[in-house]
Amino acid sequence: MSETTGPASPVRNRRPFLGGASGQVGLLAIVAIFWFIFSTLAPGFLSSFNLYALGRSLAVDIVIGFSQMVVLATGGMNLAVGSIGVCAVMAAGFLLQDLGLPISVGFAGALLLGGALGWLNGFAIVKTGVNAFIITLASASLFLGAMLILTKAVPYNGLPPEIGAFGRARLFGIVSPLLIIAIAIGAALVVLYRFTALGRQILAAGANPRAAAMSGVPVDRVIVISHVLSGMLAAAAGLMVVTRLGAAMPATGGEEWLLPSFLGPVLGGTLLSGGSVAVIGTMIGAALVTTIRSGLLVLQIGNFWLQLFLGLILLFAVLVDRYRSVYAERRSVGVKS
Amino acid sequence: MTSVNRSGFPAAIGVFAIAATALATGALASDNKIALIPGGPHPYFAPWEQAAADAQKDFDIAAVDFKVPAEWKLNLQTELLESLAAQGYSAFGIFPGDSVGINSTVTELQSAGLPSAALAGCAQDPTDMAFCLGTDVYNSAYIGTKELIKAMGGKGNIVHLAGLLVDPNTTLRVKAVETAVEETNGEVTLLQTVADTDAQEAADQKISALLAAQKDEIGGMIATGYIPSVVASKLLRTLGDKRIKFIGIDDDQIVLKAIEDGFVAGTMAQNPYGQGYIGAYALDLLASGDCTMKEDAPWIETPQTARFIDSGTMVINLDNIASYKDDLKAITADIQGKFKDTYMTCS
Repeated sequence: MSETTGPASPVRNRRPFLGGASGQVGLLAIVAIFWFIFSTLAPGFLSSFNLYALGRSLAVDIVIGFSQMVVLATGGMNLAVGSIGVCAVMAAGFLLQDLGLPISVGFAGALLLGGALGWLNGFAIVKTGVNAFIITLASASLFLGAMLILTKAVPYNGLPPEIGAFGRARLFGIVSPLLIIAIAIGAALVVLYRFTALGRQILAAGANPRAAAMSGVPVDRVIVISHVLSGMLAAAAGLMVVTRLGAAMPATGGEEWLLPSFLGPVLGGTLLSGGSVAVIGTMIGAALVTTIRSGLLVLQIGNFWLQLFLGLILLFAVLVDRYRSVYAERRSVGVKS
Repeated sequence: MTSVNRSGFPAAIGVFAIAATALATGALASDNKIALIPGGPHPYFAPWEQAAADAQKDFDIAAVDFKVPAEWKLNLQTELLESLAAQGYSAFGIFPGDSVGINSTVTELQSAGLPSAALAGCAQDPTDMAFCLGTDVYNSAYIGTKELIKAMGGKGNIVHLAGLLVDPNTTLRVKAVETAVEETNGEVTLLQTVADTDAQEAADQKISALLAAQKDEIGGMIATGYIPSVVASKLLRTLGDKRIKFIGIDDDQIVLKAIEDGFVAGTMAQNPYGQGYIGAYALDLLASGDCTMKEDAPWIETPQTARFIDSGTMVINLDNIASYKDDLKAITADIQGKFKDTYMTCS
């Protein structure tokens, strides 16, 4: 489960350094080293308060990473994850507060909206043939603008108190239930990519769309499905933030999610060129980002340095991704010859 | 002499030990660590740094620190709060990054025994903030408009340069300006309320366009946000216009210099220093566990909270520009001196 999942094709031979289980073990070791450094330099890092807060932030970062990972798998990207997230947040607020619907119905509605917005992205991409970068860049502004017009950026702060109580709940004193949900979503994604035909079709379409199409894979359909999934995951991350704040706020998501959405999957071993996902790797990658963010804060190094560190990490991750691609290409050539 | 010295040695050690103990306890009457946290970087909060240092010294608090989130983002502020709680800080004076979104974190801090108070801006009720100490924005805008009308000779057209429309305080300020205008029985007309000017670029564009289009019709302007106050002061100086009377807000050097040079009639001082100083004092008492807030204190009720305390406001003009800081310190000392008895119940 912990290794990179690739399609059932010659590309499956990709098992480069940092791309498979060994890479994720290495990443996990880096996380462990950071934990050791931070807990040594700042004892407060291991306080129950900080561990709980860290776990809760991690849960949101993981799901944001998943929402990007599922479209990276097709070789595309989704720059609108934050916008879809905030649309879902405000939709949940509207359904729960203005319409007074039950929590389950309100949250289901928000997830459906996320899926629908993702479908719009996917549909536009496959029908126009325009790069996902352009389509989702435009839709990010479109979705955000529409949300601001419809809600006038007024937060919903009269949500049922059970929502806030759930976001503040603690299991065993230090574990947020949001983290359990994030792990459960990860498990479902592992099943999807590893054990279902649809998962394999998505990866095949991402690895080589032309070959996949010739093999009978409905490439356009799996791209649309991946964007629907991405939208629903972005909505799920938004709903996690709703439970965290106990309110639906228009400042949730947006551009802020862009960097963490790429960091987790790319650090974890998901190829930017598509055809491969690393679910566990995404979780570990998100853990690295969350750990560094929390550690720098507890060390009082400050947020001003955080952006620098995150930028360096992303640069490092992209270089590793490039290395993986070149390595895979050489291996592929080697296999063929 | 020698025997006296010998017999006095243990006594001297005893006296020294008591003195050292007294010094030690006296030097740190409170072992609380208090953090003052604005919503993000903004010149308004600069006096909080000095207020923190003064409160630490004056009230013998172990630490009072001024911590600024890198940007105006709620999640950065809540992450900073969580990390400070993990580092052992015992109470927090917060300008909410979002009046609604901050409440969840405040509740968590409260449940961990760490009290918080809203300073300079309030959290939306229901909240676990112990109180909100800030400027009574309605009163400030009302007094400022009255001052503007006086400077205009009691008649003419005015424009209100307001902050974010979605901010509930903007609604209060708009209402205050309208009330002051209505009280002139038609002598003064409110030409326009230009909102969403609390960002540099927006303020530049909107106020420049306003002056370009309606300069001759405008007799006076009042700004109820920091940035439009500074921008309007600069533009009036650039235009060389002393006919249009202008009342700003806060004491930015650009505004004060414009008052001295006659381009600005006055500015409404807020009391950020007092908010930080009194806030740290009150939070120290709350964190000690000896004091709680009174339910029946003379709270001011605002649209955001039922536990508001006015930190004081006054007009700065040519008459008091040299002495207004002393006046604000006097206001601060007065509020702080009465705070414990008025708003708290202590064992």
